[in-house]
Amino acid sequence: MSALKLCNAAEEDLDVLAPRTVPIRAMASLSEEVLLVVKKVRQRKQDGTLYLMAERIAWGPEGKDRFTVSHPYSDIRCQKISPDGKAKVQLQLVLHTGESTTFHFANENTALKDREAAKELLQQLLPKFKKKANKELEEKNRMLQEDPVLFQLYKDLVVSQVISAEEFWANRLGGLNNAEPTPYTDKQEVGISGAFLADIRPQTDGCNGLRYNLTTDIIESIFRTYPAVKQKYSENVPHNLTEKEFWTRFFQSHYFHRDRINTGTQDIFSECAKQDEKGLKSLVNKGVKNPLVDLLSLEDKTLDEGYGMKQALPSTSNTNKTVKESSNAAIIKRFNHHSAMVLAAGSRKNEVPADQASETSSTDGNSRDSDFFQPPVKKVKLQEAIEYEDLQRENRQKTVALNLKKSDRYAHGPVPLQSQKYTTSQDIINAVNCIRHEMANYKPNLTQVMSSTAASSAIAALSPGGVLMQGGAQQAINQMVPSDIQGELKHLYVAAGELLRHFWSCFPVNTSFLEEKVIKMKSNLERFQMTKLSPFKEKLQRQYLGTNLTGHLEEMLQTAYSKFHIWQTRRMMRKT
Amino acid sequence: MASEDEVNLLVIVVDVNPIWWGQQAQREPQFTLSKCLDAVMVMGNSHLALTRTNKLAVIASHCQDSHFLYPNKSLGGGDGAADDVSSSRDGKYELLAVANSAIAEEIRNVLSKAEVRGNSTDTLLAGSLAKALCYIHRVSKELEVGQEIKSRILVIKAAEDCALQYMNFMNVIFAAQKQNILIDACVLDSDSGLLQQACDITGGLYLKMPQKIALAQYLLWVFLPDSEQRSQLVLPPPAHVDYRAACFCHRNLIEIGYVCSVCLSIFCNFSPICTTCETAFKIQLPQMVKPKKKKLKMPA
Repeated sequence: MSALKLCNAAEEDLDVLAPRTVPIRAMASLSEEVLLVVKKVRQRKQDGTLYLMAERIAWGPEGKDRFTVSHPYSDIRCQKISPDGKAKVQLQLVLHTGESTTFHFANENTALKDREAAKELLQQLLPKFKKKANKELEEKNRMLQEDPVLFQLYKDLVVSQVISAEEFWANRLGGLNNAEPTPYTDKQEVGISGAFLADIRPQTDGCNGLRYNLTTDIIESIFRTYPAVKQKYSENVPHNLTEKEFWTRFFQSHYFHRDRINTGTQDIFSECAKQDEKGLKSLVNKGVKNPLVDLLSLEDKTLDEGYGMKQALPSTSNTNKTVKESSNAAIIKRFNHHSAMVLAAGSRKNEVPADQASETSSTDGNSRDSDFFQPPVKKVKLQEAIEYEDLQRENRQKTVALNLKKSDRYAHGPVPLQSQKYTTSQDIINAVNCIRHEMANYKPNLTQVMSSTAASSAIAALSPGGVLMQGGAQQAINQMVPSDIQGELKHLYVAAGELLRHFWSCFPVNTSFLEEKVIKMKSNLERFQMTKLSPFKEKLQRQYLGTNLTGHLEEMLQTAYSKFHIWQTRRMMRKT
Repeated sequence: MASEDEVNLLVIVVDVNPIWWGQQAQREPQFTLSKCLDAVMVMGNSHLALTRTNKLAVIASHCQDSHFLYPNKSLGGGDGAADDVSSSRDGKYELLAVANSAIAEEIRNVLSKAEVRGNSTDTLLAGSLAKALCYIHRVSKELEVGQEIKSRILVIKAAEDCALQYMNFMNVIFAAQKQNILIDACVLDSDSGLLQQACDITGGLYLKMPQKIALAQYLLWVFLPDSEQRSQLVLPPPAHVDYRAACFCHRNLIEIGYVCSVCLSIFCNFSPICTTCETAFKIQLPQMVKPKKKKLKMPA
């Protein structure tokens, strides 16, 4: 495959809610690896060549060096092919945006083959790219759906063109660029039930036939456990067999049935059986990683003859086995293989997204890279088994002790030094004597506690409007303003807060990017004030609401404007 | 209608600082400690008369200690105390009569024995509040099964705040808040920041008396209803509490200051070393922008 230089088109912003932005075509040249070249492919009645690259599919007209059609794989939603009977051999690409491009394979001899090759390659490549693009969109959509405040903010700011979508998402998608999945999307995968095949109970059809009920769950379990079957399925359906036929053949095949004696019939599944045998053998050869569970290592190991008896192992050749023994062995082998596949399918789930291309080429148990890591794994396992975390000595980090010099400062607290009234000791003695004298003959006189005038003046002071009651009768502001106005005010505050946050984060203005941003943000703020704040104020005035609800907002905007003005004048002074 | 199982305990803490009251007697002879105690008794009687399950306790807060005026140890002495407890001559509810006489006798004892030393002239209010909390706790433990208790503390304060009691005061306030005990404050003379905070934190009422002689009326109007009933009544609005902190260096009240991140001490000015815990601070100075050198045009 030769590397071709081609013009690159920048990817469009796949923001579904924002108004469609015009794609920017940057004319940077890029060399990409070409995976497949198909000649004599017509597109829109023009002859040309189809190129499948590592990240995009492109088509150029005959004789020209440039590409008129170029789609990155992440843009393509799905591919369609024309039915086999038709004269025209076509392949159609449907994009996410709904557009579709059709390629007509016009080579007389190899049209079908070409198309199949292109289709297969696309089949393998598309899933890889699909996940990447969708994930970001999905994340954005999810965030907007879950948080209504965010959604409202988005509508207020981006849809009404106050700020652009990139700025909006700039700070919010930080977690997406990391490789770790967010907690929300990290659901636990459902494992495969070991009995899934047994669940497909055949029902008698009434007339000597069997009816198998297959649900999508069971089909998925079969595919995950037996990748060989999955491969057969993708190869044969829907070209050679319909789904129903495929499954009928599957259940009829000896592959499925218990005896499993390979009669060598022309069965599409006989290959699977052979692959399974191979897989099982390699599994056995791989051995067990965990030394604590490895039963074979518990045997007596002898050094040589004479250093302990080594029993001759019973021969495992198949020649002398009776029929019954061999069928037993077959059943046991089948059980072991099935269990191994189920377990492996469960542990394989993490590799599925990245490894789909190579999955079809290897059955389970083969070519996993664990053979290399035998000794360290064993050590780790042993270490895990013998050490308990709780019993270790605690490794607390060394802390620095707090060293307080004047700790009595905390004792007096926020009570300011007040000038104390100075009482002389003579005063004290006088006072104490006075009180002692008074209370020596104290008798409660509860009928003369206070005069009625004093009582009535006290009541007057405590009644609404009295001396003590000032300042409490104000109605709370949220009872005076209607709730829809309150809601609108909240939206305004959220939107203004977001804009102001962008504005103030530009200071101190060190780079030219920040300079542009701060100028843009100031114009955004002005636009916001014009389009959102002023109409709201007018609405308030029309409704005769006397309270000044927008004063604070205007104050904040004014502070921002004056800061911008100061910065601008300083910049002018520096330039001159 | 209040459930019969609910016990309402009111603890009244009266500030009987002899120095302040002695001076008060010379300033305003018509309102002295006797009058104040009469008003307190009226309040206590009203509280006991409201419901049969209401309980009362009165603590006198002094310069040296705090004394329980009611209930006190001499109560329940039985027939031996019959002479002291004069049987009510005016058909008063027995409980009220007993309470009044107990309070009167105790306060006489307390003030006759009082000796004031020159250096401790402040009321031990924090200690009295702590005693009140302990009493409430004890009573709530002695309840019968199924009874609930709601308690509050009413503080009648006369003398000024003592700054040395700040820590103890705050501990008492937070303990009361945890136990859902209201602290109400009725202040006779000068505003007390500590009590304002106490009322704000625990949800009680703070009132500064405009007229001392009408004390009984204010007590009955504002402080007699309990917290559930207060929400139905129109009462004086809560005062604005000054929560500003005082800086550790000058004890000025500040709104914006510097806090040491190690020992949390507050300063009004920046200093590179914290004087309490002696940690050194580094602050990034704003970057100096170098003025650009102008290119001199060479004359052609």
